Amino acid sequence: METLTPHVSLPSLASLTDEVNLIDRFLAEQAQLTTAVTRFSQWHEQSPHSLSSKKLYQELIPLEQPKKGEQYGFQVDLDVCSGCKACVTACHSLNGLDDDEIWRNVGTLHGRNDHALQQTVTTACHHCLDPACSNGCPVLAYEKEEETGIVRHLDDQCIGCQYCILKCPYDVPKYNEKRGIVRKCDMCHSRLLVGEAPACVQACPNEAIKIVKIQHSAILELSTHPLVPGAHDSSYTLPSTQYLSKKTQDLEPADATAFKIESPHSPLVFMLVFTQAACGGFWANGVHFFTTGEFSRGLSFLSLFLLLVGLFSSSLHLGRPLHAWKSFLGWRKSWLSREVLAFGGWLLCALVSCVLPEIVTFFSLTPFTQFSITTMNLGTALLAVFCSIMVYADTPRLFWTFHRTAGKFLGTSLILGAALAMIFIPKNFFLSLAVSVAVLKLAMEAGFVRRHLSEESSHPHTQSARVVWVLLKPLFLIRLGITLLGLLVLGIEPISATFFLLIGELLERRLFFQSVRAPRMPGNF
Amino acid sequence: MIERIKSLIPAFRSWDGPLTSLLVQEPGRFGLGQLPVERQPDSITTSVCGFCSTGCNLTLHLQKGEAVNLTPDPFHPVNRGAACPKGWEALAPLKSSDRATDPLLRQKDGSYQKITWGEALDVFVSRMRSIQKKNGAASTAYISTGQIPTEEMALLGAVAKFGMGMIHGDGNTRQCMATAVTAYKESFGFDAPPFSYQDFEQSDTIVLIGSNLCIAHPILWQRILKNKRSPSIVVIDPRKTETASAATHHLALKSKSDLVFLYGVARELIQRQWIDSPSIETHCSGFSEFSHFVDSYTPEMVREKTGLSVEAWNSFLQLLQPGRRVSFWWTMGVNQGHEATRTAQAIINLALMTGNIGKPGTGANSITGQCNAMGSRLFSNTTNLYGGRDFKSLKDRSDVSRILEIPLEKIPSKSSWAYDQIIEGIDTGEIKGLWVVATNPAHSWMNQNRFEALREKLEFLVVQDMYHHTETARIADLILPAAGWGEKEGTFINSERRFSVLRKVSIAPGQALADFSIFHLIANAWGCADLLREWETPEKVFQILKKLSAGRPCDITAIDDFALLQKSGGIQWPCRSGVDLKPFDTSPNQERRLFEDGKFYHDDAKARFIFENPREVPEPVDVSFPLTLLTGRGSSSQWHTLTRTNKSDVLKRLSPSSCYVEVHPRDAQNYGMRDGELVTIYSRRGSIRAKAWITTTVLPGNLFIPMHYPEVNQLTLSAVDPYSRQPAYKACAVQIGGIAP
Repeated sequence: METLTPHVSLPSLASLTDEVNLIDRFLAEQAQLTTAVTRFSQWHEQSPHSLSSKKLYQELIPLEQPKKGEQYGFQVDLDVCSGCKACVTACHSLNGLDDDEIWRNVGTLHGRNDHALQQTVTTACHHCLDPACSNGCPVLAYEKEEETGIVRHLDDQCIGCQYCILKCPYDVPKYNEKRGIVRKCDMCHSRLLVGEAPACVQACPNEAIKIVKIQHSAILELSTHPLVPGAHDSSYTLPSTQYLSKKTQDLEPADATAFKIESPHSPLVFMLVFTQAACGGFWANGVHFFTTGEFSRGLSFLSLFLLLVGLFSSSLHLGRPLHAWKSFLGWRKSWLSREVLAFGGWLLCALVSCVLPEIVTFFSLTPFTQFSITTMNLGTALLAVFCSIMVYADTPRLFWTFHRTAGKFLGTSLILGAALAMIFIPKNFFLSLAVSVAVLKLAMEAGFVRRHLSEESSHPHTQSARVVWVLLKPLFLIRLGITLLGLLVLGIEPISATFFLLIGELLERRLFFQSVRAPRMPGNF
Repeated sequence: MIERIKSLIPAFRSWDGPLTSLLVQEPGRFGLGQLPVERQPDSITTSVCGFCSTGCNLTLHLQKGEAVNLTPDPFHPVNRGAACPKGWEALAPLKSSDRATDPLLRQKDGSYQKITWGEALDVFVSRMRSIQKKNGAASTAYISTGQIPTEEMALLGAVAKFGMGMIHGDGNTRQCMATAVTAYKESFGFDAPPFSYQDFEQSDTIVLIGSNLCIAHPILWQRILKNKRSPSIVVIDPRKTETASAATHHLALKSKSDLVFLYGVARELIQRQWIDSPSIETHCSGFSEFSHFVDSYTPEMVREKTGLSVEAWNSFLQLLQPGRRVSFWWTMGVNQGHEATRTAQAIINLALMTGNIGKPGTGANSITGQCNAMGSRLFSNTTNLYGGRDFKSLKDRSDVSRILEIPLEKIPSKSSWAYDQIIEGIDTGEIKGLWVVATNPAHSWMNQNRFEALREKLEFLVVQDMYHHTETARIADLILPAAGWGEKEGTFINSERRFSVLRKVSIAPGQALADFSIFHLIANAWGCADLLREWETPEKVFQILKKLSAGRPCDITAIDDFALLQKSGGIQWPCRSGVDLKPFDTSPNQERRLFEDGKFYHDDAKARFIFENPREVPEPVDVSFPLTLLTGRGSSSQWHTLTRTNKSDVLKRLSPSSCYVEVHPRDAQNYGMRDGELVTIYSRRGSIRAKAWITTTVLPGNLFIPMHYPEVNQLTLSAVDPYSRQPAYKACAVQIGGIAP
């Protein structure tokens, strides 16, 4: 049994009537920790408490590893999940996460109209059979373990591009600003390895969370229904989590109609708009060349400059830009990886097409060479913009479908390309192109907001429209106004006009990111 | 070719490195399982949690004596390896940048100046003394808390009342527990919650009244789920709370119709003869009057008042059939009402008449709110003299005088005012100096705007707290920096009367001191330290409390010391040598309930049936204010006025950061309101803005706002239950207006 050490070796109260000494005594005592430790750590070493608590949770995890065609998955009994959220904090504490970092969350489903009910839903990574995070990763920083099916994130491989966050329909990967990388739930991989239950499983007072083995075929069968009401179509990633419930059918997420501003991703805004302007500038120059046989040097170099600014800006988006060179690794599946490759190719072609004529001025380029390098430049530019479009179109976000994203990105290229051309090679053709495309684009944006704003629905478009109109109205109005202003003065003051139009497109792109509704598991109001 | 490229790829992938190693785990010592390398403990200890009254024990992971992490104690009889998020995050609030690190004195321009402890004590003593000189000792008062250890409360009670001559002192426990105290005292003869948590596991029918257990006491819900008798769980609450959703039955009574309902149930049980007549005969008094009284509460009337359907009413009654073990549990939905004491007693009456008391799985059980509300009830020396005694009784005063060796004339013979009366006293000018310890009335007290106005009438407001920026500290004249949970020692008493030990595992920042030390410093500066020579350490005070408890219902004389408490996983009161602690046993049974012998604490050993006609709510809805506002806990990650839980980044993420209001879809439609819109809610006392959450958790005509948001109490009403003087937070009339996108 324990041995009691003396309490604290400080003078007794009775001997201290002097106030100053008393204050010092208390401050000294307050700064001591010895009391608890000396008396109680000893005690613990010998007590039954030092028996392992491991066995308490062992029935909540499988006895043996999955066989071929199987994997581990979370199984959540929603009927006993009562919303205490201990799982979230336990995961945080036992995994040593950073201060505000959480890998698990608890949302709420509730009844509408007269169906009174609320049901909390604990959720973490679903360790999908076809993980979208992994498919999108440009540097292969995700690994689906063959034996367990756990989707692990390789922290040292990650470059902090956050594309996985855009790809995951369950809002699982979390960006850690302090570390410059994404991190996420690994099902307490190292605990399972030694037969211990994951933190959330241990922590649930109601034993609502279990780890089970699940057949791949079962995952496929279950994928015909969303995980819980309001969750994304399971056929997209084939999540392995199973939610058991008798009463959630008629419910909807507490945040179904909630709308919030998403991250503006400013470096990406600049990257997209500047590179698309560059693409437009090169194309305008190309059209000029093909029709007149002449080039505008100014337009070429301005376009090149815009491209360089855009590419530089993209690196600011990365948490670990020095590792960006690895981005080609994921080319087989990741549009982001392909975008990086395409931009690399375009940059090369653009440099050649701008710089080569300068170097070889003495013995002018043959028309064929000029034609070839121009075509290469224009082709790779278009390919790069196409890849940019695909980066967003290949996410499960409805606001970013291919046709909408393509319209926006190509529209930007046309508007800004024509505007840039107006500075160097003013032509009615460019003026009318810029005006018609811009008016069409504004009409579509305003039409979208108008069409979806009045609906009382949980459709993502309604939320996007409400973010724009309710939360970001000034931004949206400036976007419309400044673009119209740019169009008005484009014929007279092309430089200012281009600047206005550029601002307009940057605002449009900011809204593109801020008003997107990301699919996610049920959240909270 | 492609295959060759593929084979090169692994070389470009980093499986390991500095970032990966941040999260690497290794087996923990002490049977703790895998833990992050950086947080491996070199020793551990256990401590009781410092948020709610459940009394969970936490295993603290120490490095060189300082806590770096914690896990719930897997073997503790209360929580069995589980904790709610607040418990898991208990260490985070200690490291906040908002900690009070130095005494601060408010200057003329409203700014605060750092001063030394010596100066702070001078200011405290000179200003309090000058107020007392001018207006008498009773013009200074204190408001204490249910958040500090029993030994500190007891010391504060001695310093303030016996040393400084204060008459009036109350705790924030008035806001949560006063009703249960009064109800038990009148019905049982002593403030004695009779249950042990094991009763949750042994019931056939569990009736939760005004209790959102899943959110307020998540670990007690765990105990219900451990019940192997497939119990019926009935939640009586106007809201479809998390608990109501998880229960087998939910009775969504109209707000404040619970007393009528309970009387109606009593009548029906008498009609059906589903009562335990022999037990009533032997152990209770006043039944025939009660039986006569409830006769007019017919099922028709009850259904009309409560809005219950015939099916719901009948199926509920079936669950109270003789032979079933029925336990009744209540919390703030009952305690914070305008007729709260009678409502609690109506619950007690049901348990008494059906013989559901003193047996496994039964009881009329009040679940406490704060971690040490129960300590405050017995030993704070505020409105009760130590050990549940009465200041007005000469015998009780003499007992205490003898035990503490304190001159009899030092013990006030007048009862203290309750919290609300102290606040009224400020208004009437009778209270001029107020000392607030570890509580936040400027946020939590009802009708907040009035409280703020009253501040101006106080000549001297001292706030003793862990944080500089609580709503109350921001309006104080003097702020005394206190050590918090985990930075000092003592005991808490949980809802089931269990004493548990609080451990010091962290160093308080700056000059912050344990409240225990601060009380001693003040006693010394005041010149009354001689009275307190024996009260040297918390553990010595515990020995004094044992003496004060001797022969009382809360007798704990058989608990040797803190070490025995620690070893036993806490010990419930009473713990009497030879009775509760049998010869040759080292510790008593871990789960004990009261009244197994059918003997209550009144002189005739009988429990009393107490009842009274229901009264109209103090502020009924009308044309101008047609909606009823309910307030209550929002989530398990929020604690009271958020002074601590908002200091944890993780807890902050687990609840909405700004005020919101739950509105029924039908009301939303009537007001033309959309989900997520910002609306204005106003009452006769103030108006606030909140985001509307349109949801069926509330009944039409009701609104619900979590009490944690600082603005909520601008709306609530100044009204108390006349017997317990507990504020009636749960219903006031409001209106919605100013809907803006």
